[in-house]
Amino acid sequence: MGLDANLAAAWLTHELEPHTRIALAELGRLVSLRPTEVLMREGDPSDALAIVLEGRIGLRLRVPERGQVTILTVEPGDVVGWSAIVPPYRATSTAVALTDSELAVFEGEKLREALAADDKLAAQLYPVLLQAVARRLEGTRLQLLDLFSQRWVEPW
Amino acid sequence: MVRVSAIEPETWFLPRRRLDELVQALRQGGRDVIGPTVRDGAIMLEPIETASALPSGWGVDNSPGVARLVRRDDERVFDQPPGPTSWKRWTFPPRVTQMAWNGAGESDGDRQPQSATAAPAPMAFLGARACEIAALAIQDRILAGGPVVDPDYVARRRDNLIVAVECAVAGGTCFCTSMGTGPELGGGHDLGLSELDDGFVVRVGSDAGRRIVDGLGLMAATDDQQQTAEDSVAGVRAAMGEPLPMEGVPERLVAAAESPRWAEIAERCLHCTNCTLVCPTCFCTSVSQRSDLDGGSATTERSWESCFTLDFARVAGGNFRTRPEDRYRQWLTHKFGTWWTQFGSSGCVGCGRCIAWCPVGIDVRVETQAVAATAPAPSIARPIVVPASFPAPAPPVTVVGKPARELAWAQALVVDSRRETPDVVTLTLNTDDALLLAGRPGQFVMAALPAVAAPPISVSRFHPDGLQLTIRAAGAATAQICALERGATISLRGPLGRGWPVELAEGRDVMIITGGIGLAPLRPLIDELLARRDRIARIHLAYGARTPADRLYKDELDRLAASGVIDVAQTVDRAGPEWLGRVGVVTQVIDRVLCSCDRTIAFVCGPERMMQATVDVLHERGIPNERIYVTLERHMDCGVGLCGHCQLGPYFVCKDGPVFSLAELGPMFEIEGI
Repeated sequence: MGLDANLAAAWLTHELEPHTRIALAELGRLVSLRPTEVLMREGDPSDALAIVLEGRIGLRLRVPERGQVTILTVEPGDVVGWSAIVPPYRATSTAVALTDSELAVFEGEKLREALAADDKLAAQLYPVLLQAVARRLEGTRLQLLDLFSQRWVEPW
Repeated sequence: MVRVSAIEPETWFLPRRRLDELVQALRQGGRDVIGPTVRDGAIMLEPIETASALPSGWGVDNSPGVARLVRRDDERVFDQPPGPTSWKRWTFPPRVTQMAWNGAGESDGDRQPQSATAAPAPMAFLGARACEIAALAIQDRILAGGPVVDPDYVARRRDNLIVAVECAVAGGTCFCTSMGTGPELGGGHDLGLSELDDGFVVRVGSDAGRRIVDGLGLMAATDDQQQTAEDSVAGVRAAMGEPLPMEGVPERLVAAAESPRWAEIAERCLHCTNCTLVCPTCFCTSVSQRSDLDGGSATTERSWESCFTLDFARVAGGNFRTRPEDRYRQWLTHKFGTWWTQFGSSGCVGCGRCIAWCPVGIDVRVETQAVAATAPAPSIARPIVVPASFPAPAPPVTVVGKPARELAWAQALVVDSRRETPDVVTLTLNTDDALLLAGRPGQFVMAALPAVAAPPISVSRFHPDGLQLTIRAAGAATAQICALERGATISLRGPLGRGWPVELAEGRDVMIITGGIGLAPLRPLIDELLARRDRIARIHLAYGARTPADRLYKDELDRLAASGVIDVAQTVDRAGPEWLGRVGVVTQVIDRVLCSCDRTIAFVCGPERMMQATVDVLHERGIPNERIYVTLERHMDCGVGLCGHCQLGPYFVCKDGPVFSLAELGPMFEIEGI
């Protein structure tokens, strides 16, 4: 399956207009990752935005004395590396493949240039990326509530 | 002297000097006579032996926050508004022993609970007002009207003789005319008295009353005496002024769930519980346990409880009404609003006790009107059906209810104990109790061991010889249950509540979304869906846990996932690098899953906030409220709708739920502190 077809099947990009999707596909390349392979490291310059097509990518943060903690997994259709288009363009977590994975990867600088030059691409891509980031924020807030913890000790 | 006979007119005159003859007639056959008397600076309802104990010449000055005895220069005994005690003090005492565990055996299994229903002496109530007879009728409906009756109440209420008094004075807090209960006597009494200066006009209300009158040999009341009595009660009605405009108030109170007025009232309210204790219809109770030091015997006591206490709605893991305004709203909305849906009448009889005995003088006559005025147009999930006028409840009926099966305890033997997580255990129990074996997915049981509270536990699997319970050790009782080993016994009461509507899943896609220990009550549903697998389209299970180690039934879920008969997606909130599964909230497992949402039915169980987030996603996906089912957790002491703790608007979660469709819950599902 070509990159365009892959993007047409991903929930993040399937509603892009065909010519926009094709323009985006031309900027990207397919990348396969084996388990434990790292796509980006927390704090490093974020030089790629990727859409997961298959597999599972773990986003990890390093916590002193606890090591790497997985705070989210990214499933097919969703984005990894949105920091590549948001200053200061540094990865906010380490992205590591947990299973055999396939991704559509867009080089950060090239994508930024395309977004600056192509208003139509920008007008369509930014809203879906914002939607994906908002969804992630919403999920993170629910995680923060730690709803399944057992903090109360009760009479019964 | 005119000799009374059964065919003579029904209205008689009892001279004041002969009042004690009436008291003695009531006492015949070992009957305890309860009547008003002065004690502790108030008019209390106490056992009396002679008429001299009645509050002769005493009146009471009542107004919001005030109830003061005043001396009058007459001998009238019933000219007071209701005092702080009501007849429920005797029909539904503040504290009763419910269950006893006797016999110091080698193991808990040798001790089985025995019910401890009272066998009290028959009682006569002297001086009950019209509003109070209405209150007795209300408690009859709740505690003896079925389907489950309170055996202790039935025993105490049986064969009561009621000698009612028609009011000759209106207290400053009385409003029975607004609630349709008085001041005129409307039935439900054996004898009805109207007090005149020199005696009492006596009306017969029952055969038992007629026998007493026959025994006393009274003269017929004269026309003048009857007219004086009628004028007297008419004066009381006039003194209360125009009845409050109560039409529409029940619906508007419920619709005003988010009115700012609740917080304003809560600023004044001390949460002292006085209003619920003096209220003649409040019926909420709690149970507590006591045991002797060697553990040989233990008793379970039921005591009055109040929805104003902080613990009233507390459960292991949270509290559903933390704010004072939540608790005031519960009381007022229930009393004047949702009571109609539950019991077909208002819960208020207009006796005014809660106004007089409120230390800060909060006046429900004012607050009901004020809150109702803030309501938007009523839009409630379960409409309240209120007649155009406020009628008095039907008069009390002869109480003959039988103890319900739901209150009986059955024994179960622990045949296996499996640790699911560090604090969760699944017990496999065998029992030969036919009803327990016939339980339905989503139902629960009360699980009792001696000397600890009996918690409600969802059944996590039914098997041919019994059932499984999956329990988290969250407190003393659940910790003891979790610690039971093979060979131990436990007492179970149930199955209770309304379970999952499994049949509605046929022909549909099914989404099951759950988190934490919420998977336990869904497991029997999954079993049942698998048994009907050929009649159901796709089945998705999305399960969230705190960490990988906190997942329940791990092997079973892995087997299910591998078999492909259902789609299983597990996710955790946090994990170390060894976990290669999903991390993230469960709502984001379902928001992109492929489903034929126009034919999907969803079953949801987990912490309430998680369920709300899940429901938002299901709505976005176009699944309507009618096809979203949730199971709710609430504080449950009785499991049969008698103790009042688990109320949610018009529902008792224990018997009307715990499974509800979102359409049934309506806005209540998302209003804080309901």
